[in-house]
Amino acid sequence: MSFLRAALQTSLRSSRVLATPRISYSLRPQAISFQRATFASQPALTKDDIQSRVLDVLKSFEKVDASKLSPSASFAGDLGLDSLDAVEVVMAVEEEFAIEIPDAEADEIQTVQQAIDYIAKTPAAPRRLLKVAFRLSRLLI
Amino acid sequence: MAQNPMRHRVLALYKELHRLGRDYPDPSYDFNGRMRKMFEKNRNLTDPEQIEKAYNLGQYIKNETLALYSLRKYRHLKRMYGDSSRSSTDDPPS
Repeated sequence: MSFLRAALQTSLRSSRVLATPRISYSLRPQAISFQRATFASQPALTKDDIQSRVLDVLKSFEKVDASKLSPSASFAGDLGLDSLDAVEVVMAVEEEFAIEIPDAEADEIQTVQQAIDYIAKTPAAPRRLLKVAFRLSRLLI
Repeated sequence: MAQNPMRHRVLALYKELHRLGRDYPDPSYDFNGRMRKMFEKNRNLTDPEQIEKAYNLGQYIKNETLALYSLRKYRHLKRMYGDSSRSSTDDPPS
């Protein structure tokens, strides 16, 4: 029994010894901010950036008349796209920005401006890496 | 129109089929073009039963295409190495 108590005491003592530096470590802010900095270095998307990329996506559609294309154009009225085309547009936008738009919200997107606004309020995905990963996963499946 | 749950289901099906169609092995088959024509052919359906039927056909085509893709690797191997069950080297003539 005495050796058990001794073991208990040493383990308690060692845990107390370990606990003290752990607390002081967590109080050091630079250790944490260093970790965060590696993930947060992605620059945020600007509104102009989003707009030009969305317009580029739409330009690549053969059904879309480039002369009618503007940020305020609606898919059905101005661009002459039906609901199936709108689905394709949303898919292309999803791939361009490497995001997933839920079906219900994708159905709400009826104009170019709505698509831009949706991406602006969605947390930005890391661009290049995710895009490459997205394409790779599609190739492998 | 936006609240119609069938509309969402059909659009989701179109989305999935479109994504599948991009990887279709034979580009001259024009999977997405054909699929689109089938959707457009049924655009004026109003009877819920007929819509459901067309939707089920779409689901069936989706599952068949998925099965086709999962067999693609197997078919490729078979084309490369021939049909081993019919090879004459393994089994001696009786």
